[in-house]
Amino acid sequence: FAFLFTVTVNALEGKDCKESVKLIAESTNLSEEQLAFLISGMYTLLREALRLPLSTFKQEVFKEDLKELRIPEDFIVDFSSIVFGNRRPASEGAARIQGSRLPTVQDFKWRVDVAISTSSLARALQPSILMMMKLSDGTAHRFEVPVAKFQELRYNVALILKEMNDLEKRSILKIQD
Amino acid sequence: MAWSWLSAATREQKGSAGPGEAEEFHTTHASEAESSFSEEEEEKLQIAFSLEKQDLHLVLETISFILEQAVYHNLKPASLQQQLQSIHLDQDKAEAFASAWAAAGQDTIEKFRQRVLTPQKLETIGWQLNLRMAESMQAKLKSPRAVLELGVSNEDSKNLTKVFVEFSHQELFEFYNKLETIQAQLDSLT
Repeated sequence: FAFLFTVTVNALEGKDCKESVKLIAESTNLSEEQLAFLISGMYTLLREALRLPLSTFKQEVFKEDLKELRIPEDFIVDFSSIVFGNRRPASEGAARIQGSRLPTVQDFKWRVDVAISTSSLARALQPSILMMMKLSDGTAHRFEVPVAKFQELRYNVALILKEMNDLEKRSILKIQD
Repeated sequence: MAWSWLSAATREQKGSAGPGEAEEFHTTHASEAESSFSEEEEEKLQIAFSLEKQDLHLVLETISFILEQAVYHNLKPASLQQQLQSIHLDQDKAEAFASAWAAAGQDTIEKFRQRVLTPQKLETIGWQLNLRMAESMQAKLKSPRAVLELGVSNEDSKNLTKVFVEFSHQELFEFYNKLETIQAQLDSLT
């Protein structure tokens, strides 16, 4: 059992466990079907348990539920240690990475230029901003921002921050689990 | 010297009817590199000024050249008029140039100033503030996330690509600090 357990926990944390599963399959005399049942059962159980945040999930309730599912005592101890112990942040970290989201800014470089002279103007002296953004999905965008648009961008970002602050102050008080 | 070519061209000019109107058109269209008038408009101008096609083209090219030089050197209307008179352009034509330039000159210069050579330019900014309640891997989240939509135009606004970027509170705050740094740099220029 211990092998299966460690394999499942590793899978939850996002590590690759094809090798370990093969080892287990060769060393025990369980049929492939039983093995599949056990591993997927434990995986689903732990995943659902980890979904719920700690604030609303009590250890006693979890142990009660596991008893109802007729899981042996020592296994219950192992399960709850994973869910409530200090290996929890690792699983939560994996969940956050795997979550579905739009690309976020990974790298942001900028440059302020002043155009002194162009082919159409002998004395231009016009400042402009060049931005290069690398996103988490691998795309890079390089574009020029005229000064007026930059002010608009700055204003909008400040507005979103203000709204976010208001939202956080309000909603945490209202919506209780 | 470019100005001597110009004086030769102006001496060939026959039409005297309303050069001022053509200049008005030209200052408003001066920012476009190619021909300012469509085929139909050219034909109408031909009839209005009773000119041949080649003469019309010559007149238009002359006017646009004068205006481009005025933009390049950032001339005041008075000095423009002086320059034109010194190459023996007719008095009324020089005055027509000066008045058209006085009316629309500054705007044209500003338009050229704003022109940039980079292929991609930021055009539009939109945003969305979402409160993420749950996702497939985690229930009961309540984390606020902002989505910034940047419309980037590609080579003279042929198409607008929308770039979506997501921020958490912390990330947005860092982004804002970077924007503030840029702003400080801009302020130190002036």
